[in-house]
Amino acid sequence: MSQSVRTPTLRRAEPDLGDDLGSGLAISPTALGERLWRFFISMQTGLVLILALAVLGLIGTLLVQAPAGLSADQQAYSAWLDALRPKYGGWTGVFDALGFFSIFTSVWFKGIVVLLTTSILSCSVNRAPHLWKQAVHPRTRMSESFYERTPLGATIDAAGTAEEAASEVRVALAARGFRTMRGADAEAGTVGVYADKNRWGPFGTVIAHLSLVSILIGALVGGATGFRNENLAVAVGSTVDVGYGTGLAVNAKSFSDSYYTDGSPSDYSSELVLYRDGKQVAAQTIRVNEPLRYGGVSFYQSFFGAAAAMKVTDPQGKVVFQQGVPLVWSSNDGKRRVGQVDLTDQGLTAYVIGAASGEVDPEIRPGQMMIEVYRSASQGTPIASQIMTQAQPVTIAGLGFTFERERQFTGLIVASDPGAVFIWLGSALLVGGIALVFFFPHRRAWARIRPGTRGSIVQLGAVGRHDVTFESEFRRLVDEMAIALAEPPTA
Amino acid sequence: MSEYSLVAAVLSVVLALACYVLAFAAVRVGGRQRAGMALSRAGAGGGTVTETATPRQGTNAFATYGTLLTYLAVGFLTAALIFRTIYTGHGPFANMYEFSVAFAWGALAMYAYFERRYRQRSLGLIALPIALALLLYAIGIGAENHPLVPALQNNLLLTVHVAVAIVAYGSFTVAFASALLFLSPWRRGLPSHELLDEISYKSVVVGYPFLTLTIVLGAVWAQTAWGSYWTWDPKETASLVTWLIYGSYLHARVVRGWRGERAALLLLLGFAATLFTYFGNLFFGGLHSYSGLGNP
Repeated sequence: MSQSVRTPTLRRAEPDLGDDLGSGLAISPTALGERLWRFFISMQTGLVLILALAVLGLIGTLLVQAPAGLSADQQAYSAWLDALRPKYGGWTGVFDALGFFSIFTSVWFKGIVVLLTTSILSCSVNRAPHLWKQAVHPRTRMSESFYERTPLGATIDAAGTAEEAASEVRVALAARGFRTMRGADAEAGTVGVYADKNRWGPFGTVIAHLSLVSILIGALVGGATGFRNENLAVAVGSTVDVGYGTGLAVNAKSFSDSYYTDGSPSDYSSELVLYRDGKQVAAQTIRVNEPLRYGGVSFYQSFFGAAAAMKVTDPQGKVVFQQGVPLVWSSNDGKRRVGQVDLTDQGLTAYVIGAASGEVDPEIRPGQMMIEVYRSASQGTPIASQIMTQAQPVTIAGLGFTFERERQFTGLIVASDPGAVFIWLGSALLVGGIALVFFFPHRRAWARIRPGTRGSIVQLGAVGRHDVTFESEFRRLVDEMAIALAEPPTA
Repeated sequence: MSEYSLVAAVLSVVLALACYVLAFAAVRVGGRQRAGMALSRAGAGGGTVTETATPRQGTNAFATYGTLLTYLAVGFLTAALIFRTIYTGHGPFANMYEFSVAFAWGALAMYAYFERRYRQRSLGLIALPIALALLLYAIGIGAENHPLVPALQNNLLLTVHVAVAIVAYGSFTVAFASALLFLSPWRRGLPSHELLDEISYKSVVVGYPFLTLTIVLGAVWAQTAWGSYWTWDPKETASLVTWLIYGSYLHARVVRGWRGERAALLLLLGFAATLFTYFGNLFFGGLHSYSGLGNP
């Protein structure tokens, strides 16, 4: 990125491009392959793709985005879309058709990411050999016209011979941290010097660009193998299976929410115990910034609410269900909270309904819950709907339902992302690569020393036009050299 | 104490700006191209250096006062932020008031740094009003202090994430100032296109790694608090857009046909995206709705 202008050239004929690096396209005999290669290694292509991605990002920021997974449910999606119509009017349909409401999973986004990744890989493959050559086999001799034209140049009269002056020049350069070497043979009698530092700096570009590929791989791996459940509600005192083939079950021993005097929340915490196949494997109090991590699965504090501790007994008095039921849903008017009890063996589904916090419900009084029981197969009307008073069983379909007591539930996000390691690796390389290329720029300087009428003449040149940092360093270097070269060496 | 320092900083900025305007006017009227606005470098003239250093001309007194007042303003703002940190017990980065003061600090500090390095005070004609606007905005919304909601209770990440962002935003302010001067049709008294291009580039070179780090740290925090390193939250997305625009600028500088004017336009766009990201807290909602404004 910090390199001087270099028009992209086709490098397929370059011998230093190793076979494994050469990529199929580069050695493709077809004109199409060549043109594609040229297209992808062009900085202009990269630039336009980055800007296109920025435009998509802007769309994603400005337009409301559909919640993940919503588009799978046709009905819910069209309801969501209808709610937007007042906002976007006639554009709603157009935006939807163009995929603007889920821009980051749209064909546009995926297409540009694929093109950009191809471009990044092509550019890296194209540039790396060149950078390698510049670092390991630098050009050590510059032409006369370079010394005449470079804006960072100096001519210094030296007292000693050309060889003596050259060694002084190298000492002065080395003192400023340059690596120096003798330049390639020039005309007879002249001595060349090449010096550089931070020669690995330019590899920061390659590292930064490849790190983006690592991040992309991380996203793909995470999408393919990870899972994320944002709605795992666990009532205090209950144990819930995590699922997703983890074999884990989580128990909430307690939940607490505390507030500042102005009413804003100060802390949410849950005491969790984790079991695998019935054996306790971890226990921790989690908070918003302190998740519980176990074997690649993490538990985050996310939300909370009221729960009802329920007991269900069969006609023989045997307990078939005894757990806290999180009232995770809200009724349409927002005045009631609803939780679900699945009685699979009995072929029934029951809903426990309570008044939302702060609401006075004419039917469900404090210390009461309502229960509605349905046959699992049928949606229709409930087979029974009754008010339960705390600790007093009601009988529906031969089963005894008891609302034991009110409790709280803690809402967890459970996530596992095996791709995260690529993300963090990529992030570290990205920051490191960018810092390397920007903070350790490759500095190069050349010198040509020829015999003069008295002693010798040192011509010094460097690249770094309008680079104030390097300009001042160069000027100091010239000053130091001028002093060192003025004295004849004491041989 | 914090408020007193803030007021002192505002006064310093106003006076510094007045000095810069007067100095600049003197340059334009007097026609002394480099007097004051472009300080000469103390060129150590050993050897026969082919590039001649800028000749030193009489420095306009206003310009010197402007510089000193700018340093003073940075000092007062630093004090304001330190007092604020002591008062609230966390990094001064938790609501829009604190962000704005910090942003102004970043803009002034980065401007002072680039003025020292490049000796171009005309940048201050753009950078100082931006800092001033941010400070007035901060004073306008008031220094109310709300305790931290649970998600923000991560002192280390809060401090580093936002502090790093402030450096990036400050650098981008300088890049914007420089790009605006680059595009200015009135060239008298202004630095050359080449120099302005260099200043823009160097300030993005400073800002870009910091913006990258801001986003990465944001991802780390998101992973810790919400269990996902990236959720396409509007603020996240907006900062990604900013990152992409400055990324395209860095590439544009080495593409034929994009250098110069078009690259400068990308910087204006980049700064617009920076401000959009910055003020996004006010209207995005989402996970970054910590502005402390408009919440019942």
